Amino acid sequence: MVMAYRVINTRRHVGLQQLSSLAETGRTFLGPVKASKFVVDEQCHESVLISSTVRLLESLDLSSAVGQLLNEAVQAQNSTYRTGTSTLLFLVGAWSHAVEECLHIGVPIPIIVSVMAEGLNSCCEEVVSLQVPVHNIFDHMDNTKTFSGIETFSISLSPFLQVPADTGLVQEKHDLKGVACQSPSIYNLSEAPVKSPKFFKTQAKVEDDEGKSQVLKDRLLAHTCCRKSVLIHSRHFNRTDHQWTHKPDGSVEDGASTPKAYRCEGLIELAAGLSHGDHSSMKLVEAALRLQFQNACMQRDNPTVPFMFDISRIFTCCLPGLPETFSCICPGYITLVSVSTTTVIKALQNQPVRLVLIEGDLTENYRHVGFNKSANIKTVLDSVKLQEDSSEELWINHVLQVLIQFDVNLLLVQGKVSEQLIEKCIHNKRLVIGSVNVKVMQAFAEAAGAVQVAYLTQVNEDCVGEGVSVTFWSSPVDIVDGSNRMAVVLKTEGINLVTAVLTSPVTAQMQAKEDRFWTCAYRLYYALKEEKVFLGGGAVEFLCLSHLQILAEQSLKKGNHAWSGCLINTSSWLASSLPIYRPTVLKCLASGWHKYLSTLVYNSANYSSQLEASSFIQHHLQNARDSGSPSSYVLNEYSKLNSGIFNSGVSNKLEQIPRVYDIVTPKIEAWRRALDLVLLVLQSDSEIITGLGHTQINPQELEGFLFL
Amino acid sequence: MSRLEAKKPSLCESEPLTSERVRAALSVLKGIVTSCYGPSGRLKQLHNGLGGYVRTTSQSWALLSNLSVTHPVLKILTASVQNQAACFGDCGLFTAILCCNLIENVQRLALTPAAVIRLNKHLLSLCTDYLKSEACGCRIPVDFSSSRILLCLVRSILTSKPACMLTRNEIDHISALILRAFLLTIPEHTEEHIILGKTMIVPLKGQRVKDSVVLPGILIEMSEIQFARLLPFKKADVLKVALFGMSLSGDFSDTGEGTVMVSRGVSLENAVLDQLLRLGRQLVSDHVDLVLCQKVIHPSLKQFLSTHRVIAIDRVGGTLMEPLSKVTGTQPIGSLDSVSPNSYGSVKNVCPAQFGFKHFLHLIPNEVSICSLLLCNRNDTAWDELKLTCQTALHVLQSTIKEPWVLLGGGCTETHLAAYIRHKTHTEPESLLSDEGCTQTDLELIAEAFCSALESLAGSLEHDGGETLTDMKYGHCWSVQAGSPAVVSWADLLSQCGCGLHNSQEELSWSFLKSTRHPIAPDTCLPQTATDSAGSLTVDCLTAKLGGLQVAVETANLILDLSYIIEDKN
Repeated sequence: MVMAYRVINTRRHVGLQQLSSLAETGRTFLGPVKASKFVVDEQCHESVLISSTVRLLESLDLSSAVGQLLNEAVQAQNSTYRTGTSTLLFLVGAWSHAVEECLHIGVPIPIIVSVMAEGLNSCCEEVVSLQVPVHNIFDHMDNTKTFSGIETFSISLSPFLQVPADTGLVQEKHDLKGVACQSPSIYNLSEAPVKSPKFFKTQAKVEDDEGKSQVLKDRLLAHTCCRKSVLIHSRHFNRTDHQWTHKPDGSVEDGASTPKAYRCEGLIELAAGLSHGDHSSMKLVEAALRLQFQNACMQRDNPTVPFMFDISRIFTCCLPGLPETFSCICPGYITLVSVSTTTVIKALQNQPVRLVLIEGDLTENYRHVGFNKSANIKTVLDSVKLQEDSSEELWINHVLQVLIQFDVNLLLVQGKVSEQLIEKCIHNKRLVIGSVNVKVMQAFAEAAGAVQVAYLTQVNEDCVGEGVSVTFWSSPVDIVDGSNRMAVVLKTEGINLVTAVLTSPVTAQMQAKEDRFWTCAYRLYYALKEEKVFLGGGAVEFLCLSHLQILAEQSLKKGNHAWSGCLINTSSWLASSLPIYRPTVLKCLASGWHKYLSTLVYNSANYSSQLEASSFIQHHLQNARDSGSPSSYVLNEYSKLNSGIFNSGVSNKLEQIPRVYDIVTPKIEAWRRALDLVLLVLQSDSEIITGLGHTQINPQELEGFLFL
Repeated sequence: MSRLEAKKPSLCESEPLTSERVRAALSVLKGIVTSCYGPSGRLKQLHNGLGGYVRTTSQSWALLSNLSVTHPVLKILTASVQNQAACFGDCGLFTAILCCNLIENVQRLALTPAAVIRLNKHLLSLCTDYLKSEACGCRIPVDFSSSRILLCLVRSILTSKPACMLTRNEIDHISALILRAFLLTIPEHTEEHIILGKTMIVPLKGQRVKDSVVLPGILIEMSEIQFARLLPFKKADVLKVALFGMSLSGDFSDTGEGTVMVSRGVSLENAVLDQLLRLGRQLVSDHVDLVLCQKVIHPSLKQFLSTHRVIAIDRVGGTLMEPLSKVTGTQPIGSLDSVSPNSYGSVKNVCPAQFGFKHFLHLIPNEVSICSLLLCNRNDTAWDELKLTCQTALHVLQSTIKEPWVLLGGGCTETHLAAYIRHKTHTEPESLLSDEGCTQTDLELIAEAFCSALESLAGSLEHDGGETLTDMKYGHCWSVQAGSPAVVSWADLLSQCGCGLHNSQEELSWSFLKSTRHPIAPDTCLPQTATDSAGSLTVDCLTAKLGGLQVAVETANLILDLSYIIEDKN
């Protein structure tokens, strides 16, 4: 075994170049209007439609060390926050480019590292002024609930009534057209001139406008609720005082740090602001949240426990082939089962069903994890008794006996289920569903009083859950997809489980639609969890940009030494030469934001070139600087809905523009991760490839390798 | 029919150090370790070239354990550095660089290896005696009644590993956590011998560094389902604990070779399960509250225990077994037959705890000398580096209890030591040349090689084209930008010495490390500020550095002494 060693930055930093070229691929995913990509596999001629960073990185070749690190950073962000990956990818590109510039000028690496890290820290402190508190969202929800009642809800959530029929049809028609050909009529629909011929962009616009009118309606509804709420609350004395203090304008005065204390009033505004142009997904998320809230109100014994949006109890069920309008939110668990179970479901439909939950597989040979089967044990027959049944049949009979004994008609299994058993169960009017998510099992365990078991032999009366209802999911088309499966709804009284049924006429878009749903769900989740949001639409990034410019100017004027403290190793000569380089490095860091903002503006299609977008940003930057206080400039501009910045490119009808919000920690973490990755690569000077012989390296690449 | 193959002759290489290949490989290795050294050291990306995990690091342990070196000379070197790092926890790069420097410097001299080795040994003992003596001018006593020096020590270790990707605030946070964890491992009631406890590092990747915490007791990770079953949690007083070191999964013990014949109708699995349930009944009748198992517990047994309100946690893992048995006072049960009432232990309390996306059972023992450091970092590679660094810091703090001194860091100890040796060999050569037939010239040559090896080690802290100076009073290490005009007053250009003890306004005079200068007697008294000022100092662990010095010189001697390498090629 020989180890190879390669120096990667002799003059130009190869690692940084790799980073910026990899990150360049994700440029179009920034902002509310995303351009999708087709990724084509040249070997098997398969293609995938992609519109998110995570999916993009899944299909890129990232076998190089830097690619691996990039992938690791994006995956870490995604698994922790499920959002912010496009920001991360873009900033990685922008900052690695900026760092290269610094290197080119000759700034020592430790200075780049410490000034950039400290610069970002300072930005993170600065943007706290743009945080908006999110409180009392659920007080409004409470009103809505008491006002509209549960019945109205379940009706309004059914797929047919969710969107007024005409608009739904219009949209459906256009979707279909979009698939068939890029007909010119599509362009007429969007009010803004669209430069790109890609129909996905256009479609996004259609959706946006539609979503907005819906938002308006809902807002009206919520408004009426608020007015009546006083009356309703007067009956609940335990909560009245609490309510009254907030009532005059519907929410608490908070966030005194901002000159104009911004508030996010109500769920509808919050959700619209966090939808980032994807209103159709956000509407579903909102409905899911309402359902959970309703459920929590009915279930909870003491109202002092605050309601939490539990995203782990939301599931998606994808039904490709159906029009978009069938997307909806339903209480309970919806999953696809084979058509052969139709008769069973019909039989079970009108009665409460008893269920058993099985963790692991339900096959004869399954043993719990950690059980080692001995290979050398043989069963011998001592008598000449004829063997009528195989052991599998014996086992199945045993299973059926247990099911009959405890009168169980529904089995939810976490793992695989033996095919033969499924068939036998169908004959016996019992439904077995395999590959059920752990969280679903948990929800049924809670609501139906079942206890999960590993083997059917463990089942006793205490393990059996009761009162589950099994019905077909009402869809106009009976057979849902090509593999002869149909959707079935399982629920029980008070189950804390919500399923989002996602439909798309274009199968290729299904994945993207699901991803978008989750992105919206997590955005709302973090906003509610942290009880604060940022003013969105680039406001935060703009403030960072202008803050850094001011910092750079200040240090240029004063050459202050206060900052030399940011260098970790203060005794080195680097500490004393830090003030010389500081403005340059800060400007480079700022250039990353500048690139981010101009791409954001450019992507939202109001400007025909990146250059135009860039000068637009420059113009506002100058204004901000002239105004003396960038943060109040941002707040002012933000409140002007037609200012063009922070609210640009979403719609042309001014009165319909919702405020745009952003989530706090995931965003800041994405920045930190992006900068960390760039600085990590910047500080690396060589690659050590372990366990590689001379022969395994391509002769052309052999140059630059050293062997030990 | 067997076929015999003629044996290949052994390969014999004479004077391995003179071969070009060995020299080249040594210089590559030296390049790798030197470029990693210090807070501004460069990082290395270690990977397998096939798209596997990439480890970004500048730590000797991670680097050397992944390097696959072929030549015996390099093997000796890497093995002894790794041994050193394993024993002392820190100063691995120091050892490796010093060893390479010594070999390189001595090779240029036309002296016999025997003389070199003998003199090197003398110089080494001169160094160690000085560092251990009361008169030593580069060590500071550790005052355990204040946290200052200990915090400086931890912070110096954290800052010297840039791949941890910590900001200053995060460094402060982690330093405080490490120190707290260390203090928690010191038992409250001590008799004659202090037996330090242990810090368990629990990974929580993907979270912010600031979310890291230290908790007394042990955290046992468990699945979310297990966690959900624990809730709502009933608080008890003292819990009786049974700890199993064996698998309770219901599989059969190894039957060895051959086949076991079982007649039809007999189920071995059921037989074993019956045995397990019997055990369960015994545990319940013995009023055990908590059953911990290193491996898997059979679901039926778990079900049985939970219906009797016994908490059962399985898959605890091997690393937790020893601490668990220590804090609960149990003997891990190794077989089903040996369960007796005196194998049970107890804990003060347990409670479920959730951090990030992970679920834990938090065990609070009666007497705490074990704690858990829940360590967070943003991504895998930075987490791995941080974990290793935290382990180093904890190890170093423990050695500081044994030898309560720290050495000045930032290159100051090295330059000070070099100045001391120069001075000694110049003024009292006879004490070093007592016995053998070495001339004074030999001594001067070797001493110069030794000192310049130490000094270039201090110079290795510089990676961005700076130059290293030393002052003529204390012999400390100072750094300056390359190409600074020689005429300017140094006092204005320099600010602080490497360790942060002296500043340039003290009317000192300086000279470049590379330039020849007259030997000086370094000032050996420490200023009062060293022990009580509020300023932050860069300090190193005395034990680790002393050990590193010894290993480096002895390994260099060993390698210089090699005259033949005989390789068996069969």
